[in-house]
Parts: sequence; C-alpha cells; structure tokens
Amino acid sequence: MVTEEKKTELLTKLRNAVIQYDEDTAKEASQEALDVGMEANDAIFNGLVSGMVEVGKMFEAQEYFVPELLMCADALYAGLDILKPHVKQLDLGVKGSVVIGTVEGDVHDIGKNIVKMMFDVAGFTVYDLGRDVPLDKFVAEQLRTDSDLVCLSAMMTTTMTGMKKVIDDLRAKNPHVKIMIGGAPVSQDVADKYGADGYAKDATNALKDAINMIESLKKMKDEVEAKKAK
Amino acid sequence: MKTSLKKELLDHGATVVGIADLRGFLGGEIAHLDRAVSIGVDRRLNEDTLSLLVKLEKRAVRFLKARGHRTLAIPPDSDRKKGTFISQLYSLFNHKMAATSAGLGWIGKNGLLISIDYGPRLSLATVLTDAPLRPDLPMEYGLCGGCMLCREHCPSQAITGAEWSRAVPFVELVKLSACRSHKATKRATDGKPNCGLCINICPYGRKEAAESMRVRG
Repeated sequence: MVTEEKKTELLTKLRNAVIQYDEDTAKEASQEALDVGMEANDAIFNGLVSGMVEVGKMFEAQEYFVPELLMCADALYAGLDILKPHVKQLDLGVKGSVVIGTVEGDVHDIGKNIVKMMFDVAGFTVYDLGRDVPLDKFVAEQLRTDSDLVCLSAMMTTTMTGMKKVIDDLRAKNPHVKIMIGGAPVSQDVADKYGADGYAKDATNALKDAINMIESLKKMKDEVEAKKAK
Repeated sequence: MKTSLKKELLDHGATVVGIADLRGFLGGEIAHLDRAVSIGVDRRLNEDTLSLLVKLEKRAVRFLKARGHRTLAIPPDSDRKKGTFISQLYSLFNHKMAATSAGLGWIGKNGLLISIDYGPRLSLATVLTDAPLRPDLPMEYGLCGGCMLCREHCPSQAITGAEWSRAVPFVELVKLSACRSHKATKRATDGKPNCGLCINICPYGRKEAAESMRVRG
C-alpha cells in the first residue's frame, strides 16, 4: 500500500508538472503513481486537474498567457494518456454526453479544445465537431447522439450570431437540451439574449456549470418519468 | 546568464547559439516571449540531429525555467508533432527569422539560413523566453554577393536570384511551387524527395570550396 507521504509527494509532482508545463515530468509522475499502486482517479483529479485549476487562475491573473496555457494542457494530456486506461470507475455523481464545436465561419478552436479537455477529464462522452462547423450539424449531431448538452464556441462577433440560429433550431427540435456558449465576444448578456442556458467565461467554470446543468436536466427527466409512472 | 546559457548549450553539442531580440517581430499570442535562443547544429538533418536539437531545447528550457523565466520551445521544422495544443502556435514563428536576428547568419539566395562558418548546413531550433538576455547583433544584409551557384545549379529553376535584407525580408527568393514539384518528381522516381543541390553547392562553410576560392583569390 502506498504511504500517505508518497502519495502527497506524487500528487504535488503531478500538479507542478502541469503548472510548470513539463510534459516529461507529467509522464514520469503518472507512471510512478501507477507503479506504486495509486488510484488513477486520484492522480488525475487531485494531481493533474488540480494543477490545471491553478493554471486557470494564473491565466485569469495574467501571469500566464495563451502559450503557457496550451503547454500546460499538453502536459495534462501527456499524463492523462498514461493514467486514463487505468481509471476504474469515474464517479463524479453525474455523467453525461456533450456535443461541442466552434460555429461556422470561425476557425479559432483553442478555447473550445480546452473546454473539451475538461469534459474528457471528467469522464463525459464528448462528440467534438471541430471548428468551422455548419450550423445544421450541431442539431443533427445532438439528435443522433441524444446528448444532454451542446456547447457552442465563437471567437468573433461576426460568427457569434450563428449561435442564435443553432440555439433556436435546437430548442425547436428538443426543448430539454441544455446549451452553453462561450468565447471572447460572449457575455452573460449575450447568453440571455440568445436563450442559452449557460455562459462560461473559462474552462473550469464551463465544467462546473455543465455538471450543474446536467444534474438539473436529469432531475427534470426523472420527474417527468415519475409522473408518467403514476 | 547569457554566457552561461550559451556555454551550457555549446558544451552539449550545439554548434552555434545566438540570442535575438524579437521585440516587435512577434505576433499575437507569443508577443510577450520576445527573446529567442537560436540553436544551430552543424549536421545532416536526420533522426539523430533532431533528437539532439530537442535535447538542447530541453536543456535551455530547464536552464531558463530554473531562473524563473517563461519559455516556449519551438521544435525543429521537421519534428512538429501534430495534435498537441501548442502546435497550433508554431506557425506564428519562423526559425530563420530568429537565427538572422541572433546574428547566426543571413537568408541566402537559396532561401536558407547561411552561416559564414557553416554555410547552409545548420539545423535549427529555437527557444523563446521572456528572460532579459542580452541580444547579439542581428544580420542586416546577405553576404552572398555576386555568387549565383545555387541559382545556376537548381534543377527546377526555382531560385530567383533576389537578395534578402532585414529591411525587405519578404522578397521572393525561391519559387516554392517549382521547388516542391521538383521534389515531388524526385519522390516519384527515386522514392525520396531529396534534392539539396542548393545546399551542397553553397561555397560558404565548405572547406574545399573555401580553400579553392582562396587560391583563386
């Protein structure tokens, strides 16, 4: 059994590897964690992800800029690749599936990819449509996969307006689906105006909001089913 | 700090190391990393050279990080892993631009970095950083002079003969489509896209050539 001391040491090492965007150390520490018999879940969430949360804060505080953020994400994935096959049962209380993409006309997908990563890490099933995605495709994919959540991203004010159309179409087809939007020009005001369920200003918030939304969605579904049963 | 960083890299296999001040040259997301450590290795481009360059980059990264600076290692052009997040930013950056800014050489008529001592035979990698390293003197003009050997020997007539200078860095030196289609033909016939005549012919850094030029004098 792994000692508490060793565990803390490895978690700190994983966390720092992500913060220090050090892929080699992230890999090494992940392998070491497995070798000493640590739970992969523990290593991911209390090590890698805890590092990424710190990185998010540093990014907000403008201590880190985009390149550092991206390298941290790469370090996280380097560790995740090693740990993920050993994850036994990911239990966040809620699991869901999500359709995600950057809307038509927009090729900026860095933000979208980081949000996607958070969903990956949290054990969501992610259907990534990529960037410059035709608006109809979001609706089609949601129906095909029966996803709980659709995440739209746009980096430009000109492409942002496409999100309104997707939201309207999704609502018409499936009133229960939850929709989140994000990207540089997006604000809470825009989200309200377009009728989105959520707006997230960064990846960590996106994940938290998503979990809350899916929780409420599942509750709603249960209630409906309970009524039917009566 | 600059001297010890250079020494560290040279001791571990780098042929040349230069520091460039890139303020005003970098766009967008990488603009805050305005010093470049340009690393050149005088070897044929192959797997070993690439792994040496990557090792040197890691060494520079460790050195700078240990002193509390940000770093961004841009891998050699022929070793760019696709699919990582950071790889999306690599296209914002050009190794040759850093190398000329660091005074390692100029852009020759063949479109390659030419170093006085090593000719067009350096393989390059760059580490960007915000460490306030004292920059080396940049190259402002090419030193190709009237030499047209690469132009004369280019099998696809891709070399225009124009000259590079820092003031007009975007003049067309090589018709890339011509060069590329020649290499594609080579690949079809020989199985390898190798050409490299403009590298082999360049008198800079070629011992025999340099000596014969001196004799002719």
